[in-house]
Amino acid sequence: MKEKLNYSYYPGCSLHASAGEYDLSTRELFKKLKIGLTEVPDWFCCGATPAHNVDELLSLSLCAKNLELADKVEGDLAVACAACFSRLKTTQNVLSESEVKRKQVEKAIDAPVILDSHVKHLLEILARDLGPERLAQSVNKPLSGLKVACYYGCLLTRPTDVPNLDCVEAPTIMEDVLKAVGAETVAWTHRMECCGANFTLSRPGVVIQLTNAILDSAKAAGADCVMVACPLCHGNLDIRQKEIEGVYSVNYNLPVFYLTQLVGLAVGLGPDKLGLAAMMVNPLPLLKEKGLL
Amino acid sequence: MSRIGVFVCHCGENISRTVDVERVAAQVGKLPGVAFATDYKYMCSDPGQNLLKKAIIEQKLSHVVVAACSPRMHERTFRKAVESAGINPFLCEMANIREHCSWVHENREEATVKAIEIVGMMVERVKKNRVLPTITVPVTKRSLVIGGGIAGIQAALDIADCGHEVVLVEREPSIGGHMAQLSETFPTLDCSQCIMTPKMVDVANHPKIKLYSYSEIELVEGYIGNFQVTIRKKARSVDEDKCTGCGLCMEKCPIKKIPSKFDCNLGMRTAIYVPFPQAVPNTPVIDRENCTKFKTGKCGLCQKVCGPGAVDYEQEDRLIVEPVGAIVVATGFDLYTINEKPKGSMIKGYGEFGHGKIPDVIDGMTFERLASASGPTGGKILRPSDGKEPKQIVFIQCIGSRAREKGISYCSKVCCMYTAKHTMLYHHKVHDGQAYVFFMDARTPGKSYDEFWRRSIEEEEAVYIRGMVSRLYQKGDKIVVMGSDIAVGVQVEIEADMVVLATAIQPQKGADTLAQKLGISYDKYNFYSEAHAKLRPVECATAGIYLAGACQGPKDIPDTVSQASAAAAKVMTLFAKDQLEREPIVARVREAGCVGCFYCKKVCPYGAVEEKEIRDRQGNLIRVVAYVNPGVCGGCGTCQATCPSKSVELDGYTDEQIVAMIEAL
Repeated sequence: MKEKLNYSYYPGCSLHASAGEYDLSTRELFKKLKIGLTEVPDWFCCGATPAHNVDELLSLSLCAKNLELADKVEGDLAVACAACFSRLKTTQNVLSESEVKRKQVEKAIDAPVILDSHVKHLLEILARDLGPERLAQSVNKPLSGLKVACYYGCLLTRPTDVPNLDCVEAPTIMEDVLKAVGAETVAWTHRMECCGANFTLSRPGVVIQLTNAILDSAKAAGADCVMVACPLCHGNLDIRQKEIEGVYSVNYNLPVFYLTQLVGLAVGLGPDKLGLAAMMVNPLPLLKEKGLL
Repeated sequence: MSRIGVFVCHCGENISRTVDVERVAAQVGKLPGVAFATDYKYMCSDPGQNLLKKAIIEQKLSHVVVAACSPRMHERTFRKAVESAGINPFLCEMANIREHCSWVHENREEATVKAIEIVGMMVERVKKNRVLPTITVPVTKRSLVIGGGIAGIQAALDIADCGHEVVLVEREPSIGGHMAQLSETFPTLDCSQCIMTPKMVDVANHPKIKLYSYSEIELVEGYIGNFQVTIRKKARSVDEDKCTGCGLCMEKCPIKKIPSKFDCNLGMRTAIYVPFPQAVPNTPVIDRENCTKFKTGKCGLCQKVCGPGAVDYEQEDRLIVEPVGAIVVATGFDLYTINEKPKGSMIKGYGEFGHGKIPDVIDGMTFERLASASGPTGGKILRPSDGKEPKQIVFIQCIGSRAREKGISYCSKVCCMYTAKHTMLYHHKVHDGQAYVFFMDARTPGKSYDEFWRRSIEEEEAVYIRGMVSRLYQKGDKIVVMGSDIAVGVQVEIEADMVVLATAIQPQKGADTLAQKLGISYDKYNFYSEAHAKLRPVECATAGIYLAGACQGPKDIPDTVSQASAAAAKVMTLFAKDQLEREPIVARVREAGCVGCFYCKKVCPYGAVEEKEIRDRQGNLIRVVAYVNPGVCGGCGTCQATCPSKSVELDGYTDEQIVAMIEAL
């Protein structure tokens, strides 16, 4: 048995807002798995997509400061949101390659730049640090019979060579985690396609079109539900699903779970601890039908 | 007392820009033993060399130091010049004040001081130089050619036509290589088999070529002019001398459903087989893994039907030693495997393209077999999944090539041309079909190449889309190709019936292992390295070993044939002399000091150290000492560093010389 796992935790803005159930289920799951999780005190926004589109120094500085704050807490940094994960890793990558930028950032944040800390997405923690074997041992309600379409979206593995989470274009890490908790995963075509992300506000038409293709593909592959590891993907697939069904006159009824919700279910957490009530597409009928509640 | 001449070169401005060459000459001229010192703009030029020769005669010089570029560049030049003026060439040394000084420094004062020190060191060193006699070794005028593709065949034929014996070793049961698999060839669309098979027959019939098919290189020993090569002749289970090639055994073999590697798994073969009907030699081989006789002990049908009694289940691998003087390596290429991504490999796969999962996503070589008149479909373009003719076909270039994120940064050079050819072959066979090509750049340098490419667009109606494809997926019986057209800036989706991926060229599997056996160098992709990218493109840095074809880098057929003939010419240059002269930079044993511990023998990478018995006049053994065979010694100096009694010294690099250099600092 390895020693107890311990992480510092960077929830990111979405998890304190629209993705509250992701935050809740993460904390509850880690508690249940006896993995230490300490929220980084005084963390703030990573800058997400807007910052690096406007000002590179700003976006690097925001992440660098957060990394510096996180370094004061024991353990590797656990990140839930795919965008935060991508930005934090990109920052480490860019700053380790450019001394000029490193000096600029150091000046801007008035603190040392931390380049050697390990930034880990929750998927990595479950699939690698804890590992499928130990994860399987914690399961008391295997998700057998549940067919899940694992949706990676854009930023978990991209840009190339930055997150280093898994194979950039054909990853399997989500499937690996779900297999360990007894679920069935489907092979489908749109697992890596963009959902439109934050164009959801400025160009909703584009998002509806892209998201429809994703849901259509998942349904065609015979999935009962979709699993995501990013609050923006979740927003588009879950919140907009009703609207899409209206626009395209289709009926998907595909609940969109966070990774931590499905794994949490398998280790025996109840709906109240997983925030299932906050989901727009009600998952309860499906879970009851599969005997998982 | 030595009379040393020092000649300081400006190298145009390469040295004089940073180093005060006049001051260097003036300073060094004051050193004890230096009789003459001067500087000149281009020492390596004709007037520069004449200045050197004149000074040697007029000043009665005994040793020479040329302070100029790296000895790798011009040591040979100056030693030759010195020799023509009557001094032993090994009494001339070069002080490298260009690569080691002027090119890497900016401060003129410091660089000048450093240059003076470098030259001073070489002055002290040259004082200790000894006259060394040139070593000659005999040349075995036979050559080994490794690989029986078009490169190996061309090299073997050229050498053999000059009257020298060639040992040609091919790993597969037949020679022919990849070229034998191709349908028609660019830029003339002549049939590959039609131009290839006559050459294969020439090899088989040539009295000077000894062909070992289904054989591999086991061990390579020796050195230029005198290699000993051990060849493993794998058990074919058919006696080549008895077999008449009638084919009855293959007709009767009950195991008929083994996917044929030659046909890219589209066709089937029997357990006793020749890879293709035009195979050379036309002798079948038994695939022991799939043969019922070898698996269960039963069957034996092929042996029963064989008239001449050639089938021999007891045959074993044989090891054969062949002495040769030169080696041509022509091991060719392999195609990038689209999905394979071994853990930890620097090269990654394209899982997102569904190759191997979607049956109608194929690679370029598979398309060649479909288009080939002798292929599994008789030259009809048919989908592997349902045998239907594809009406919309998409070709995607640069699969693996130029994709740094997948681990390969080089261009595979042939794909633009063969994809253009594929669109033409397709258009010739499917008149109502439409071909699309996704490409990054069209690279068509070569005689009549760009015209050929233009033809595919202008006359054969291929639609070229500049951009890459992100994903392929099956939708019903169509394959959806999701890509981008960067010229227009839009996303493109095509519903195709078949997709052909132009995969990167990689060296053959095991190229690195063979290189280690041969002692030649290779790059990070396992392509073999030439001695000089521009001026010695077919020679290896290891003397006596030459390169031909795609084992050195991606190449098309014309380039491969040219390089193969060039390699043959280099072999002929070597064979033009009966004796080889080689540099006398070899280790020598001082027998009086040698205690016979043979540590030197253990560390010698060339196997040059032998045991020598010292006997008195009555023939009684007194002791055993080490002896370095000067023909084999590579001059690395490892023995010198190892010898506990300091009894081995490398000529030209003795301890005395090195210590003198250090003391001069």
